[in-house]
Amino acid sequence: MTEPLLAVDGVSIAFGGVQALSEVSLEVRDGEILALIGPNGAGKTTLFNVISGVLRPDAGDVRFAGRSIVGWAPHRIARAGVARTYQIVRPFGRLSVVDNVAVGALVHARTIERARNDARDVVGFVGLGAYADRPASSLTLTQRKRLEVARALALRPKLLLLDEVMAGLTPTEMDGMAEFVLHLSERGIAAVAGIEHVMRLVMRISHRIVVLDAGRRIAEGDPAAILTDPAVIEAYLGAPLGIGG
Amino acid sequence: MKRAAAVLAALVIVVLILAPLRLNGYAINLLYITLLSIGLAYGWNIISGYAGYFSFGQIAFFGVGAYATGLLVADLHWFWMPAAFAGGVLACALAIPLGYVMLRLRGPFFAMGMFGMAQMVRVLVTAIPATGSGSGLFLPPGSGITEVYYWTLAICAGAIALTIWIDRSAFGLRLQALREDEQVAGTLGVDTTRAKITAFALSALIPGLLGGGYALFLTYIEPDAVFSSRLDLQSIVMAILGGLGTVWGPLIGGLVMTQISEALWARFPQIYLMIFGGLLVALLIALPRGIVPAIADRFAARRNA
Repeated sequence: MTEPLLAVDGVSIAFGGVQALSEVSLEVRDGEILALIGPNGAGKTTLFNVISGVLRPDAGDVRFAGRSIVGWAPHRIARAGVARTYQIVRPFGRLSVVDNVAVGALVHARTIERARNDARDVVGFVGLGAYADRPASSLTLTQRKRLEVARALALRPKLLLLDEVMAGLTPTEMDGMAEFVLHLSERGIAAVAGIEHVMRLVMRISHRIVVLDAGRRIAEGDPAAILTDPAVIEAYLGAPLGIGG
Repeated sequence: MKRAAAVLAALVIVVLILAPLRLNGYAINLLYITLLSIGLAYGWNIISGYAGYFSFGQIAFFGVGAYATGLLVADLHWFWMPAAFAGGVLACALAIPLGYVMLRLRGPFFAMGMFGMAQMVRVLVTAIPATGSGSGLFLPPGSGITEVYYWTLAICAGAIALTIWIDRSAFGLRLQALREDEQVAGTLGVDTTRAKITAFALSALIPGLLGGGYALFLTYIEPDAVFSSRLDLQSIVMAILGGLGTVWGPLIGGLVMTQISEALWARFPQIYLMIFGGLLVALLIALPRGIVPAIADRFAARRNA
């Protein structure tokens, strides 16, 4: 068996007295789309923060392309090929849309001119071409979501961590985003998509699903199996008791 | 438009170069102090305007440059120019370890931390017996106001050139990204620690170089004169008034402030500070992002209309 692209192995982290993640493990293979689902507060964003190097886990290991990346600075993990978006969109408001994306493109481009050129391509690719030179603060929420994805793509990642990219979108926009993620997968970019609900889309895009609840992995499997898993039904229907563990 | 700006810039440079030949003592001193504040504002603008780390302690590097130059000239009998240059290099070198520690602080904690750091540096410098402690240090004669003026003019030109470069470079884009959101900049591949420390070191080099000139200008230096909170605050206000993180903000802010200040002082010597303070508040309320962004917005609006 070959080494998976990403291997999260027994990761735990606590904030004060709250155990945000307890021995969470998962794997992602090249080009695979893994849906990470769970109610609000289940620990999806915390897991993304651990993988991208923003948080250091108390225990456990994260391996990317065969190397342990625990303790690496975020920029080093990004340069190695892990890109992420943020649940609450965080554009560089005073910079233009192109410059927002060029920051990531600088990882590969030698000069700022090339980075801006590459960024323009990516901005066009996500459908923001008409807004390229506007300040990012002038974008609507939907456009900001796309900008998040464009910035991440400019890093030319092997793995994309998408934190609640569906949240706040209309059903049509969600379908567009789903198509987009599938398209990236066809190009060989693996993705972990953190999604709170919208099961319809989870079923459509994901190759595999991992379910988190109160910081624990409670289920893992293919989409059909997950839907009928008693633990998953319990977590969603019994959400008020499960939240925050 | 571009051509007119270039002609204007060339004219200003010629006038500034020829100024010492024509001006009397008072005018040349005033021009020197104006240039000095503008230069300090440019230094501060790099770490605080572009990188977004508000520092209330960059004057520490000015003091270090001044004292280093003083000691090299008075005790080791160096020629003033290499001494002033060495003062700048020393300030810049000192900023690297200091920045490594201080830039872990953010927002108001960094601002206050730098204020404390400046006090520490001041006490440390004056604790060295060779600096004459609190009683000061005399510099032997050897350079006059003309040399100091040209030195400062050159540093200002260099600071502006450096800022133009930063504004257009990949380094500058990284600084602006981390100013807007440091965590996001990091996950987009920006080595934020390295970018911040580089910006901090450049923000120390400029006051360090200017400090040497100031020591020569004063010919007698003491802690209060060179670790001057007044100079520090004045340059910060200039940069903010002109427009934080812009190429021309410190220059425009500096010119506007000194012009207003001089005009008021000449007419209302008793209450000029009060009027000046009120005017400053009014200006900042009217133009919250500073003069340069306000003008840029006006032009952008006209182009889109």
